[in-house]
Amino acid sequence: MTTLLEVQGLHKHFGGVQAVNSCSFTAAEGQITGLIGPNGAGKSTAIDLISGFKIPDSGKVRFEGREVQGKTPHVISRMGLIRTFQSPREWPGLSVLENLILACFEPRRERFWRSLRGPSRAEKEKANEQLVEARAILDEFGLFHLRNERAGNLSGGQKRLLEFARMRMAKPRLVILDEPMGGVNPVLGERMAAAVLGFVTAGTSVVIVEHNLPFIERVTDQVVVMAEGRVIAEAPFDQLRGNPAVVDAYLGELPTYDDAES
Amino acid sequence: MIDYLVTVLTEGSIFAIMALGLNIVWGWSGDFDLAFYGYVALGAYMTLVLTVGPATNPTTYILGLTLPFPLAVALAVVSAMVLALIVGAIALRHLRGIYFSIVTLGAVYVLYVVTGQYVPLFNGYNGVSGLFDPMGDVLGLDYSSYSFFYLGLCIAVLIIVLLLTTRLNGSRFGLALRSLREDERAAAAFGRDIYVTKLKAYVLGAGLGGLGGALYAGYLTAFNPSAWSPVETIILYAAILVGGRGSTRGVVLGVAVMVMGLQEATRYLPEIANQPSFAPALRLIITGVVLVLFIRFRPQGILPERRFRDKDPAGKGDAAAVEAMVAGPKLDTGAA
Amino acid sequence: MHEALLTLGFGLVAAAILSLSALAFTLEYSVTNVANLSHGEILTVGAYCAYLVQQHGGGVILSGLAAAAGGGLLALAVHNGVVDRFVRRGIGGLPTFIATLGVSLVIQNVLVIIFGASNLGYAVPQGAPRTVGPFLWTDTEIQIMVSTVVITVLLYVIIVHTRFGKSLRAVSQNRSLARVSGINANRVAALTWLLAGLIGGYAGFILAESVGTFSPYSGFSFFLITLTAAVAGGLGRAVGTLAGGIIVGIALEFFGGYVSASYNLAFAFAILSLVILVRPRGLFVGGRRSVFE
Ligand SMILES: Nc1ncnc2c1ncn2[C@@H]1O[C@H](COP(=O)(O)OP(=O)(O)OP(=O)(O)O)[C@@H](O)[C@H]1O
Ligand SMILES: [Mg+2]
Repeated sequence: MTTLLEVQGLHKHFGGVQAVNSCSFTAAEGQITGLIGPNGAGKSTAIDLISGFKIPDSGKVRFEGREVQGKTPHVISRMGLIRTFQSPREWPGLSVLENLILACFEPRRERFWRSLRGPSRAEKEKANEQLVEARAILDEFGLFHLRNERAGNLSGGQKRLLEFARMRMAKPRLVILDEPMGGVNPVLGERMAAAVLGFVTAGTSVVIVEHNLPFIERVTDQVVVMAEGRVIAEAPFDQLRGNPAVVDAYLGELPTYDDAES
Repeated sequence: MIDYLVTVLTEGSIFAIMALGLNIVWGWSGDFDLAFYGYVALGAYMTLVLTVGPATNPTTYILGLTLPFPLAVALAVVSAMVLALIVGAIALRHLRGIYFSIVTLGAVYVLYVVTGQYVPLFNGYNGVSGLFDPMGDVLGLDYSSYSFFYLGLCIAVLIIVLLLTTRLNGSRFGLALRSLREDERAAAAFGRDIYVTKLKAYVLGAGLGGLGGALYAGYLTAFNPSAWSPVETIILYAAILVGGRGSTRGVVLGVAVMVMGLQEATRYLPEIANQPSFAPALRLIITGVVLVLFIRFRPQGILPERRFRDKDPAGKGDAAAVEAMVAGPKLDTGAA
Repeated sequence: MHEALLTLGFGLVAAAILSLSALAFTLEYSVTNVANLSHGEILTVGAYCAYLVQQHGGGVILSGLAAAAGGGLLALAVHNGVVDRFVRRGIGGLPTFIATLGVSLVIQNVLVIIFGASNLGYAVPQGAPRTVGPFLWTDTEIQIMVSTVVITVLLYVIIVHTRFGKSLRAVSQNRSLARVSGINANRVAALTWLLAGLIGGYAGFILAESVGTFSPYSGFSFFLITLTAAVAGGLGRAVGTLAGGIIVGIALEFFGGYVSASYNLAFAFAILSLVILVRPRGLFVGGRRSVFE
């Protein structure tokens, strides 16, 4: 099993708050890694640091063996690491379909001169293939009938689905999902779980931040637990139950859930 | 009457060129650039100092060459783009929203003050003049036919600019720019180099501004600081907003309404009010009111930017319907 | 040395006017999160109101009050008529900013129609300069500085020690949170704009007194300098803004005295751009950030 993402000793503080404090973990290729922890544990900040949206005070991030800390977000994204945000970030004024098309970054076609010249025959074909794929993906996520809708008009849950669809379109090596279930009707949980598992089938490894622990248990191979900026445990979910540090961090939340389940 | 029509149309096409340039910056890329009229002014000044010949006492200005008009226009556009590259490279690096606007406003004010105060540059507040009927002598046109020729020239340039912007509008470059306008972070997360892409749009827009300015100089025969107070930028913004921000057709309509229409509607007012500044002031009041009302009630403008529509008679398609459709409609992203 | 002290003396006058204007601007910004581009017109209208009063034989005090009243009413009208409606509709900071640019255009040109575009001046004489310590000030300039200190102290008392001031601070921190805790945020915002308008209108009066002339455009030009002071001090921070006003005011006077007064505005903007680029949150806050932080 190869390591895809390796985080080593990340630090980040805001004023007096040490949001991320010597955070280290790894995510393996072809796996779904959960990243959990109480509110304010530093999960979102860690994602920002990994994806280049914030600059770490110190520490290393390796993606596919290459150091990426300090690189800008678009460079990291082009290497194949794409993240979502805690609140959905669709392009609201564009149509749902345009949102999907834009998820495929194509440096050559987006160049100014090439755009001025108009698409070549091959590019037109490519565009058509993309359109077909986009339609199919939208259909899979139940958004097909909304494809010409302004993305900003979608409901919160639909926006989450749209983010999944965009990721499927982009086909990165690794996605980092920040609370993809936030605000989603539990009924959609099934679909979400299927979608997350679908990434792996499509060749994309996953790091997922989520507060819904049954969901985490269901989809992840490995779980990283953070609290107060530190990683306090890194193990498959079922091995976490007996871990006193984890139980402590969750203020007993975890055992309660265990009780409810059993 | 016909002379008047020629005047209005010439001015209208020149302003449409400028507005189409600004629309790339504000309409597509989403940056509220208050320096824009500085690029127009630079285009105008450069065209003048490259064509009217050496300065004679007491005027002073740089260069003072006698290049052919088309070459001067090309150089003027390039200089506007270079200036935009410098301003944009600084302002777009970290700044967005009002901070970007404030810094660009600052840039244009510095330019304005320096142009006015530093006489050796463009002859200070008196400005540069003397560009009479560019290319008229080469083509052997007399005074009356010249204005038609110049109108034709402006319209021809406008058509080229329209073709260019329409092409870009439907391209991936145009779509990528929209994604920056709509959500920068998401755009970066999906691999777009925000800074470089925005800078390209900024320089391109400024180039069209400089082109408009160059043609404006040929039309006015002269240019001085009173011709480009920052207010002029607001008029362009009003035109874009009314017509439809981001929409090429909309911008042309907006210029027709807010520049040509308003000019026409208030044309006979000076006589009525018996006050020289009444008509221009009233025009600006109307412009201001329209700006506020449109932002509040119709921010998308009269002819909103169009989204790519994927037509599908089959409704929510099953796999077969999707297959069937694929043969049909072709992807032509953007609002073509 | 003596010359430098004299320049400092003039700089203090400029700083006083600038501080008032910048404080008013920051008050507007703090409760609505809108950078009011029509702020300069509050000053202009103040100057014209004072002018009208003087035309009818009013003295300096009455003129000052009229200027404040005019500015206050205008600010209230802009807030209730435009800004508040925009904010409540959830229209963002930038579009509202653009709308206030439209408002500015309207007010300037209404003034052009009523009073004409040319410069006007007050009839009341400045008084002969007198020596105060190392400085050389006219009566008017002394009036300007004394009144500025009084207004600033009053403002401080209002913000720190009254219930209204407490609500104001709460609203500027977090509007929705303030509303939840039972504060009528819209009313507080309106009153704050009124207060800002009173200060701004008076600032317009003393600006016109000090410069000697004014026109429908003078407020807008001065607004550009105001913006420098307010941004340098940190948008929405009263104490920082005060400091920003004093520093920028004195710096401009020295620049004008020793380099060239004609490039004053350009110099102000050079400072502003530098501040925004290097420390966008104001001179007095720091930190290393990526573009997205
Ligand atoms: N921009 C910022 N400025 C100041 N403090 C911040 C900033 N961003 C995050 N923090 C602080 O850093 C800590 C970690 O925040 P972060 O958003 O990473 O937590 P999280 O684990 O994602 O929490 P949640 O589960 O609620 O999303 C918190 O204490 C937060 O208040
Ligand atoms: Mg979070």
